[in-house]
Amino acid sequence: MRHFVIVGILVIVMAILTYVGLDVAGVATQMHPIQASLQSVSIDWMWNWEIIAIAFLFALIIVPMAYSMIVFRRKKGDTSEGEHFEGNTPLEIVWTVLPLFAVLVLGYMGAYSLGEIRRVDPNAITIKVKAQQFAWTFEYPEYGIVSNELHLPVDQQVVLKMESSDVIHSFWVPEFRVKQDVVPGRVTEYRITPILVGAYKVRCAELCGASHAYMENGVIVDTKADYDAWIAEQQAIAAANQTPEGQGKLLTVKNGCLGCHSIDGTKMTGPTWLGLFGSTVELADGTSVLADEAFISESILDPKAGEVAGFSPTTMPPYTLTEAEIANIIAYIKTLK
Amino acid sequence: MKRFFSTALARGLAWQLIGTLVGAGLVTGLRALMGLSITDKFFFTEPAWVLGAFFGVLFFLAGNGSVTDWFKWARGIDTPEHHADHYSGWEKYLNVSLDHKVIGIQYTVTALALISIGGLFALIFRTELAQSQLQFLTVDMKLFGQNGPQLYNTLMSLHGMIMIVSILLGVAGIMNYVVPLMLGAQDMAFPRLNAFSFWIAVPAAVLLLMSLVLGGFGTGWTGYPPLSARAPVGVQMFFLGVISAGWSSILGALNVIATVIRMRAKGMTAFRMPIFVWAAVATSIIALTATQLIGLSFQLVMFQRLFGMGFFDPAKGGNPVLFQHLFWFYSHPAVYVFILPGLGVISELLPVFARKPLFGYRWIAMSSMGIALVGFLVWAHHMFTSGMNEYLRVPFMYSTLLVAIPTGVKFFSWVATIWKGKLTYPTPMLFVLGGIVVFLLGGLTGPPNAAISVDLHLHDTYFIVGHFHDTIFGGFVFPFFAALYYWFPKATGRRMNETLGKIHFWLMTPSFFVLTFGMMQIGLLGMRRRIVDYDPALGFDSTHLVLTIAGYLIGLSVLIFIYNFFNSIKNGEKAEGNVWNSRSPEWQVPSPMPVHNYDQPFEVVGEPYDYGLPGSKYVEFSSPAKSKHK
Amino acid sequence: MSHTQDKSAALRQGVLIFVYLAALTALEYFVAVTFKAVSILVIVAMIKAALVMYYYMHIYKLNAESEDDEHSYEYKTGTNRLGLWLFLLSDSFVFAGLMTTRINLLGLTRPPLNQLLGLAVTAVLLLSSFFMNRGETAMAHGDKKSFMNNTLVTFVLGLGFLLGVVLVEWRLAAEEGLIASFGNPAAGPMGAVFYMMTGMHALHVFTGLIFLFVVWNNARKDLYSAEKHWGVEAATVYWHFVDLVWIFFYPALYLIGRLV
Repeated sequence: MRHFVIVGILVIVMAILTYVGLDVAGVATQMHPIQASLQSVSIDWMWNWEIIAIAFLFALIIVPMAYSMIVFRRKKGDTSEGEHFEGNTPLEIVWTVLPLFAVLVLGYMGAYSLGEIRRVDPNAITIKVKAQQFAWTFEYPEYGIVSNELHLPVDQQVVLKMESSDVIHSFWVPEFRVKQDVVPGRVTEYRITPILVGAYKVRCAELCGASHAYMENGVIVDTKADYDAWIAEQQAIAAANQTPEGQGKLLTVKNGCLGCHSIDGTKMTGPTWLGLFGSTVELADGTSVLADEAFISESILDPKAGEVAGFSPTTMPPYTLTEAEIANIIAYIKTLK
Repeated sequence: MKRFFSTALARGLAWQLIGTLVGAGLVTGLRALMGLSITDKFFFTEPAWVLGAFFGVLFFLAGNGSVTDWFKWARGIDTPEHHADHYSGWEKYLNVSLDHKVIGIQYTVTALALISIGGLFALIFRTELAQSQLQFLTVDMKLFGQNGPQLYNTLMSLHGMIMIVSILLGVAGIMNYVVPLMLGAQDMAFPRLNAFSFWIAVPAAVLLLMSLVLGGFGTGWTGYPPLSARAPVGVQMFFLGVISAGWSSILGALNVIATVIRMRAKGMTAFRMPIFVWAAVATSIIALTATQLIGLSFQLVMFQRLFGMGFFDPAKGGNPVLFQHLFWFYSHPAVYVFILPGLGVISELLPVFARKPLFGYRWIAMSSMGIALVGFLVWAHHMFTSGMNEYLRVPFMYSTLLVAIPTGVKFFSWVATIWKGKLTYPTPMLFVLGGIVVFLLGGLTGPPNAAISVDLHLHDTYFIVGHFHDTIFGGFVFPFFAALYYWFPKATGRRMNETLGKIHFWLMTPSFFVLTFGMMQIGLLGMRRRIVDYDPALGFDSTHLVLTIAGYLIGLSVLIFIYNFFNSIKNGEKAEGNVWNSRSPEWQVPSPMPVHNYDQPFEVVGEPYDYGLPGSKYVEFSSPAKSKHK
Repeated sequence: MSHTQDKSAALRQGVLIFVYLAALTALEYFVAVTFKAVSILVIVAMIKAALVMYYYMHIYKLNAESEDDEHSYEYKTGTNRLGLWLFLLSDSFVFAGLMTTRINLLGLTRPPLNQLLGLAVTAVLLLSSFFMNRGETAMAHGDKKSFMNNTLVTFVLGLGFLLGVVLVEWRLAAEEGLIASFGNPAAGPMGAVFYMMTGMHALHVFTGLIFLFVVWNNARKDLYSAEKHWGVEAATVYWHFVDLVWIFFYPALYLIGRLV
């Protein structure tokens, strides 16, 4: 009896210590990282209850185990066997039924939390998302804007309608918590209400190929005023960009080119465009070629034809663009000196 | 050396090579006749490699003698029922044997080899991951037709699958060695099927490794299309390797079930079997049935690649998510195949080292069956973010949480078993207790993943990686080592070195805690899975360095074990009696185990775990005069 | 019906079961053509399956009283029997997976197939099971000659099924536009599902034919007797399993769903 009392007290102490310890480590009342969405509040609430359960169950098993390992250790010279009892049916029933009850409660809480994060706001704004190897592109149909950076107004529910042009990707902003796969052949939906202004990153969370690690784009949560200003600015740029160079730049955003090609000289999955046009490019087969219109056009339509040294085997898929579109892109690339 | 080249292993490998060339040549010839292309990036075309690989497996088996008896029976020629082993010493293990004890050891040693290879791959990419930004797996480097990130993706994928196959083989090794001994049988129900089940795993492993040199496959061990439909030809080797290994698992399971139902000793009713046998049966029910589904899902992708059959290609009206349903319908129950035997080992060994009955034997037996059953109903919890039907996710959350109940029964029963015992801590017991603690951590980090909303954050992060490493190490790796230290004397008549065993344990266990806690921590913070590189701004560098060091220490501890294992075969302290003072039948006869197991049959006359009950007996051997065995 | 019958009673039972199966197949076809009730088709398939499993595959033998001596032929046969059924259990998961694939990808649509041809090959396969049953009954009563003749008929009918599906049905389906693809972008899941289901089934028919030849040949060498003919029983049960799978695949591909 004495053993049970001691163990009982130690279990409660250990459970509390475990929970407190986990909270101090920052993983109890909140998961890292910061809560930047309304949905994260509900998810963290559920998580916190899970941690409470974990702390208790951990203590419930570890304490009697450790206690037994110390108190019931065979003493030197003792050759007797352990106490002979084979079971206890009431106890078995208790430790089957109580966990069953806990499971049902946790399940209900989980369903509740799911309902919370899927709550539909009829005034949600819709943004289209395109995922491809290896970039995210965001389209605002009612404003006629396409961008490689997702801008969202704070405290406003947004519905992302997501499509993939090649393989399965997954949209995830850790600060938002929610994650949703983007599956080719269908439109998947991501509903989020950002609550904290800031700059975040969306990183692909489903292995999608060699550059999966680098498939990331910016997510900016603005105040309503800043968001509106950004929209207006983007619309102005789109309007002004009727030049071939401007149209070319828009095409590179729409087609996710900048996911692999930098415009500032940084080495990424693909060669940089800075100073590309007119330069001499060394190919993987050892020959050199001039990076003129013909070369760039071929690189877009049939990337495998002239693989560049240091970037082979190429993972770039072929793009079906019209002659005019390619000409615009080349015009844009020419401006990158 | 010459004797090595005449072993079934060497012959099989040579025939595998020949078969590969024959199959590839056949397809190449046909294609030439049809006016199609006959070469590709890796010399042969993909269809040629596929038929070549398939023929390679068949030729291996035909050529090394694994199917000889069956072909004789088909021709109406009878063969002796039991084949004595022609070889002794190490040669015995490199040739075809029908003795379940030899096969068990063959499985176990192959498992250790694969653990080492899988572990080596992990250390390679853990070295890269120790710091952010690419150090040596760079975009510029090229090996086997892959650049750094592509090679990383392949090594990471192979680490997963090779480890999974090593677990299946390790599980088969323990079950094969131990189950007939526990039942009082002379061998398994189907000894030739048993040998076949082992030997098919060898060409399977070769195929998996071949994927590395045929362009890799970088899809993760899960092989999801559309990515796997576009992967290099290495993915076909991966698919075929898994299918072959799957057959090993299926047929091995069939054998276990038949043996347990048909070959028990007199008086061994269901609830008087050793508890490990219950675990083996539950495991085998899953392995027998569910495994076919991973084979089917991979087969469909293979055919999509080879013949354009659009099962999972949305452009053709296919459904990528269907693959996930088919795949996970096996791959979730598979994890119970991984851990049920280990949990059975824990239940089997605790009474011996606590000198007390197993608490609630019937409930523990039923809990294994319960886990197996419920395990079939939870698969879509791997798919919560997949785009599957939203509401369908909820029942899967409930069923997933439900698995905690029979699992809880085990934990509580284990605690009750050691309570009021007389505990000692030789190495097997250390690994059993360590396994319980590690599995507890794995099990406790399961429910957060079961809650759909929380899983939306945790899915595809290092939190999951930490969770499953905990469950796998606790449910398989630790009990596997416990079983090896425990039954080593039974197999060899010698003990493994205790000091080295303790060093193995105390090096592995804290390193492992550090590894999995670290993984879970950065996972929560945003560290995704399956990425060769991570943003330094995330601040994960120091944790990753610690994870890599922990990985190396775990690797070191395994090396110490392997040294101990092989060295003790010749030099271990002699241990020819009942070293652990166990009541189990196999320990009532001298070690090493006699070739035909029990010269006299035994009858079950009491309960298996009545430690502490004076005068109680579990089994009684009949006198020599009454022996019915030939 | 008693399980240990004399030969003529057993043969009569075989005929009776075949008549039931044929009648149920006719009912199936009729239901599919007239009011297309999926639930009735499923129930009919399950009844047919139960008949085949009980009377032709004699699944009840798994529960038979066994000899005490575990080294006796009878006991070993019992173990072999269990092993075979465990294998069939495992194999059925492949077909269940294919069925799931068909339901997921095609739903309530079905491929454009020749109904008369479908009914014909189904009848041929069903008939082959009838003869297989006759052959096994013969061997169980020591009649080697009758066993060999009936097995030969089974083989021919089975071969007929195989050729009917692979050489005729597949070609007709391809002409109908149902292609597996070979690079043709117009090919969809309809063709993929049809060819994979019938292909996997055909693979099992093919291996079944090999087993039939093996036991026919070994019977020719006088290797079996009324008391010892496990090989015959195994080949028989496997053959009926192949028929059993078709009992479900036939309505799934030919009868259930509307043409697109």
